[in-house]
Amino acid sequence: MISTKMLSSVTFLYLLCTVLYFNYLAFRSERLGKIAGGLSWITLLLHTAAILLRWVESYQLGIGHAPLSNMYESLVFFSWCIAVLYLLWEWKLNSRILGAFAMPFAFLFIAYASLAPGVSDRIDPLIPALQSNWLHAHVITCFLSYASFALSCGISILYLLKLRQKEKGQKEASLPALFPPLDSLDALIYKTIAVGFPLLTIGIVTGAAWANYAWGSYWSWDPKETWSLITWFVYAIFLHARFAREWRGKCTAALSIIGFAAVIFTYFGVNYVLSGLHSYA
Amino acid sequence: MSKKEEKGFFSSLWDSLSSLRLTIALLIILAVVSIFGTVIPQNAAPEEYLRVYKTSTYKILKILGFLDMYHAGWFVFFLALLSLNLVACSLKRLRISWRFFSHPEESLEEAQWKTIPLSRKFSQKGPPAASLRQYREALTSAFSKPKVLEDHQVYHLFAEKGKFSRLGVYFIHLSVLVILAGALIGSFLGFRGNANIVEGQSTDRVILRSQGQAQALGFSVRLDKFNVSFYPSGAPQEFKSLLTILEGGRKVITEPIRVNHPLTYKGISFYQSSYGIASVEKVVLAIKDRDSQKEITVPAQMGTRTEIPGSSSAFLLAQFLPDFQGMGPAFQVISFEPNRPHENLWIFQNHPELAEKRPGRYQFTIKKIEPRYYSGLQVTKDPGVWVVWVGCFLMMAGFYMTFFLSHRRVWVRLTEKGGRTWMEIAGSSHRDRSGFEKEIEKIGQALKEKPRKARKESEESEDQP
Repeated sequence: MISTKMLSSVTFLYLLCTVLYFNYLAFRSERLGKIAGGLSWITLLLHTAAILLRWVESYQLGIGHAPLSNMYESLVFFSWCIAVLYLLWEWKLNSRILGAFAMPFAFLFIAYASLAPGVSDRIDPLIPALQSNWLHAHVITCFLSYASFALSCGISILYLLKLRQKEKGQKEASLPALFPPLDSLDALIYKTIAVGFPLLTIGIVTGAAWANYAWGSYWSWDPKETWSLITWFVYAIFLHARFAREWRGKCTAALSIIGFAAVIFTYFGVNYVLSGLHSYA
Repeated sequence: MSKKEEKGFFSSLWDSLSSLRLTIALLIILAVVSIFGTVIPQNAAPEEYLRVYKTSTYKILKILGFLDMYHAGWFVFFLALLSLNLVACSLKRLRISWRFFSHPEESLEEAQWKTIPLSRKFSQKGPPAASLRQYREALTSAFSKPKVLEDHQVYHLFAEKGKFSRLGVYFIHLSVLVILAGALIGSFLGFRGNANIVEGQSTDRVILRSQGQAQALGFSVRLDKFNVSFYPSGAPQEFKSLLTILEGGRKVITEPIRVNHPLTYKGISFYQSSYGIASVEKVVLAIKDRDSQKEITVPAQMGTRTEIPGSSSAFLLAQFLPDFQGMGPAFQVISFEPNRPHENLWIFQNHPELAEKRPGRYQFTIKKIEPRYYSGLQVTKDPGVWVVWVGCFLMMAGFYMTFFLSHRRVWVRLTEKGGRTWMEIAGSSHRDRSGFEKEIEKIGQALKEKPRKARKESEESEDQP
């Protein structure tokens, strides 16, 4: 399929973007930054086109459905969400600092989709449980929230690197010195989570509403549901910990990283380690 | 115990109940223990646990409630404590937030003017009283309608926006309680059960999931027909049960249900959940004569002796198993051949190759089974579900207010000094400071422009004869 081939080249392009953003950080060259930004937009455009093409291809196979129905498609969409959110952020704040911490996520997830042995890129018809309009609302909100959390995780890594450099009293010339001040990073972590948390909640609620139609119960403590709730708890802890002065900063940055680890486990771990009703992706 | 000490006890209890530390501790506990419930299978059969755990481990887990953890007393206790903590924290904070509604700060003290981080200063031609209307209108159109106070020739304008975002957090906290209340209503007044109905049959009760008891529905439900269709790849495409609700023997509704499309009647919902073959009425067999290598197809009925055409042999389908030891549908065939003792053999729909190994003259394979299906329905009643949805909606509204709106306040002080107006603007926003700074900039521009423009216009009109 053409879309699959396109997505393979998109994977390669994301790697290139990642390398460029790292070089931009290391050499502080505005030109490199502009090239990285421009290439990212082109990559995103191709990525979008490939997703739309896959949609069209599914109709040509006579089983038309939105490309959001299995592990492969969700990984491709997850990567797309990260790229979109990051580029919007870059455009709005006119800063490319985070590129080196966001693009690797976009690259890793789409690379996993193409390379992991257990992930099939075939377009399969929808099984009865997935034949629902809730599919779109549920998958889109969940992955937008995951992408937002991926960004906050990236910024938290930046924050902790910068904090370590400051605590150690390293030279101004070292890499973390280039990062925005700690306060603005902290504010950015909060902002990305303030977007991700309501989206995650909508994702859980639409999932519950769907489960109520498909399985006859809005909440069955299925491992996927429970892990999404655990993730929700971690970010709720983050939001409350920010009120306490002694927890704000290092602790909340760590929480945002733990939160993203919970996201990853909800997404992959539950499928590979635990079993349950939610076995599609 | 003296009265004073008693009060001390209650107030310290209140303090710990309404503390942020308790909130965070409880959230951590709930998050961590929830993990156990995803690792240890919940509500499984004892045999299943004993396959994985030692008997002693199994007993300990059972006593501690880890086998139905999310309904265990201690888990519910933590949820209840979180609810109490939520109420206590909200009440404590609400007193502070309410001041923004009951006693809005309409003018700033002199000391506040000096320390407020966001402020601008300008001076303008003409005394403030002359252009007061313009100042007011400018602030109204650039921000929101101000309240004007006059204090010894000094004018104070106060305007605010998004006051209600201060209440967002209470909406969220309340919504958690509403959702939990909905879950409680569901667990006390609802039920969750299963019913397997064979085509053509009906039932007026379901088997409850938790205790295995029967629950009367108050009406009957009949399965008229079950249909399953497959994609060319073999994956299931659709399961469909045609259900008829009967009350007092009278038909009320006939409606098909599919996965994702349940039927609800009198608050009880029926969901398509599984299916299977209950019995087989007719079978078409292919019978190969090993002597002549000819194959013929023979329709047969269960339990009836069927002659094999053109021979003196016969067979009988004695038994059907929908799934013979994981090998799929199978029939027990008794074959009668002349001069041989009758033979007992199993034939498999999904494994025709096994028939070749059978001794005897005839080789039986299954061509087609006309089964009578049963449909597995999930039957639930949950009067609390709409309460849960109201809670979810409240939570969304709360999130919107909390994360996307902010309480912004603008104070303007107009003082006259030597025939000129000294204008001071101060602003405060409890969220998104940098965004508000830009807004203050715009408000300042509007407050400068409007009175100036109005003055120019009036001067021009005076110039005209």
